[in-house]
Amino acid sequence: MIPQIFQTVPIEHFVYLSAVLFVIGVVGVLTRSNAIIIFMSVELMLNAVNLLLVSFSSYHQDPAGQIFVFFIMAVAAAEVAVGLAIITMIYRNTHSVDINDMSRLKG
Amino acid sequence: MGASSLIVLICAAVAFSAGGIAIAKFMVKGTKNTAKGEAYECGIPAKGTPWDQFNVGYYLFALIFLIFDVELIFLYPWAVVVKSIGWPAFVEIVIFMFILFMGFLYAHKKGALKWM
Amino acid sequence: MMVLIILTAAGILAMFASVFNGRSVVLPVSLSGLFAAGYFALLEWNTNTTYFEAMRMDNFAIAFTVVCLFAAFVFLLLYHYMHYSSDVHYAEVISIILFSLAGVVVMVSFTSMLMLFLGIEILSLSLYILAGLKKKDLLSNEASLKYLLMGAFATGFLLFGIAMLYGATGSFMLSDIAYYLGLHKAVAEPFIVTGIIMLMIGLLFKVAAAPFHFWTPDVYQGAPTLVTGYMATVGKVAAFAALVRVFQLGFSPALETYQFLFAAVAVTTMFIGNITALYQKSVKRMLAYSSISHAGYMLIALMAANEVTNGAVLFYSIAYTLASLLAFAVVAILQQKSGSDEVSVFNGLSKSSPLMSITFAVAMLSLAGIPPTAGFFAKFYVFSAAISDGWVWITVLAIINSFISVYYYFAPVIASYMKKGNEEGIVLATPVKVLLAIIALLTLLIGLLPGSLSYLI
Repeated sequence: MIPQIFQTVPIEHFVYLSAVLFVIGVVGVLTRSNAIIIFMSVELMLNAVNLLLVSFSSYHQDPAGQIFVFFIMAVAAAEVAVGLAIITMIYRNTHSVDINDMSRLKG
Repeated sequence: MGASSLIVLICAAVAFSAGGIAIAKFMVKGTKNTAKGEAYECGIPAKGTPWDQFNVGYYLFALIFLIFDVELIFLYPWAVVVKSIGWPAFVEIVIFMFILFMGFLYAHKKGALKWM
Repeated sequence: MMVLIILTAAGILAMFASVFNGRSVVLPVSLSGLFAAGYFALLEWNTNTTYFEAMRMDNFAIAFTVVCLFAAFVFLLLYHYMHYSSDVHYAEVISIILFSLAGVVVMVSFTSMLMLFLGIEILSLSLYILAGLKKKDLLSNEASLKYLLMGAFATGFLLFGIAMLYGATGSFMLSDIAYYLGLHKAVAEPFIVTGIIMLMIGLLFKVAAAPFHFWTPDVYQGAPTLVTGYMATVGKVAAFAALVRVFQLGFSPALETYQFLFAAVAVTTMFIGNITALYQKSVKRMLAYSSISHAGYMLIALMAANEVTNGAVLFYSIAYTLASLLAFAVVAILQQKSGSDEVSVFNGLSKSSPLMSITFAVAMLSLAGIPPTAGFFAKFYVFSAAISDGWVWITVLAIINSFISVYYYFAPVIASYMKKGNEEGIVLATPVKVLLAIIALLTLLIGLLPGSLSYLI
């Protein structure tokens, strides 16, 4: 079901790669100020997880991990749809998608 | 379905489309006329270039496309197991598509797909 | 399963009612949906029915489902009487609420990590939309964007944790994970440690526990007040139930190891929530910080990890839900009248609406944990669960925090009874009056007869 060739690569390599991707995503979320780029960074985090799941799925010879990836993709698409709608709504009101402009809520 | 049947299929497809064009070339007597180049009964005449900016309101199309495009991902694992499960799998996917269709119907009724 | 089908079908019906000009049928359809869902949930009491190895309707799940259904019922009625004529998206709001409840049901009954993820996302996506309901209001926009970005960020952590646990154990089933952890004494393996910590971060984000609480005040303040009430009750209770479930069904062999983390989180959450709440002028923001501190109290119950934990958490959730619903309902009504959410809107409330001032006082007493309200026994059960497991120091800190919280909870109550303000009577629809009175009575009743409720599950 899952090609044997993937198993010749040690699982650690996949884990390192996806951990690096995940961290790039986290750093992007924490440092960028454009809402759309933050959103892209979140997607990068999710895709790092997808990669991790697929490689573990191959490692364990278990298709459940791949099914989980399908669900993550579908949910991420729903999240993107909601997110872009929210960002469009904000752009219509403020003509900006910079989160540093959004500091009206303070206590 | 092996690789050989795929080759046969490709050959048949090429033969079918190329054959049609060849027969048309061979049988039709050519007359030059500008009206022939227009999109006769194929929608409204095109205006401007394809690289024009268009209304941002079409973002709804993009969002709806995004959702329905990705939801169909579930058809892939379904297609793998549908034979071994049989009719219950078919009923379940029909329910799934029905719920998706409800969403589409809602978007349509709300006018999200209206031409601007 | 029936619960899910009913909620989803009612949601779809409510959604289509708006396109076919059927605004008037929305409330009957959604309320009967809620009642049918509650009925079918209770029908499965003590059956432990398992669905597709993915969900199990045990008593824990049913109890939390019913609590959330009740909160949604209150929300729907209040929303109906406050916004029926003013909100063009009335039907959509109600259908989104029903969809979010489907997420709640999944979230409190999962036995597989996949369902945990799906449940959390269904609930969260609905809440992102609800937070941004006021499309022209910049505060609401901002709340919705912040919630979305932070929520999606937290989901990333949650998923990374799930993936790591899958890598270590080879399964998404909670029982398999627990079996693996118990069998291999593997709580210290790098994959497991990363997995559990990341999963904890993701879930603590959702319950708004410190240090992952920073989004809460902004989102709670910016969102429309009723929606804030919904987020603070259903959102928090469901997320907390999910946290308890993950740790009880999945990580029970590892709980010993992670108790100190929970202790640290619980203590910081209580102190940050309570001390920051002292300085708030906006009642909504004050309630937001108070909801953060309540997450801290609930974490204490989880930490104790003995047989009374479930009962204590459920009791606390019920008391907290009732009191928060009351508080947010009153704030929402006052805000609709005066356009402000400062403490000063409470001035003279005892004259202009005695019912609202009394119910609000009951809510504040319950949140502060003063007898004879439900909040007192909620704290009592949580603390006794902690002490029975030997966590005396944390209980002492929690009691100190309860004393701090009395100060800010009483500020609006004092304003409504002692200060003079606009004494023009506030007219409420009769069902709203009845609803407020019933919730206040329930709070008092549970406070007077706490007996059997805590041993329910």
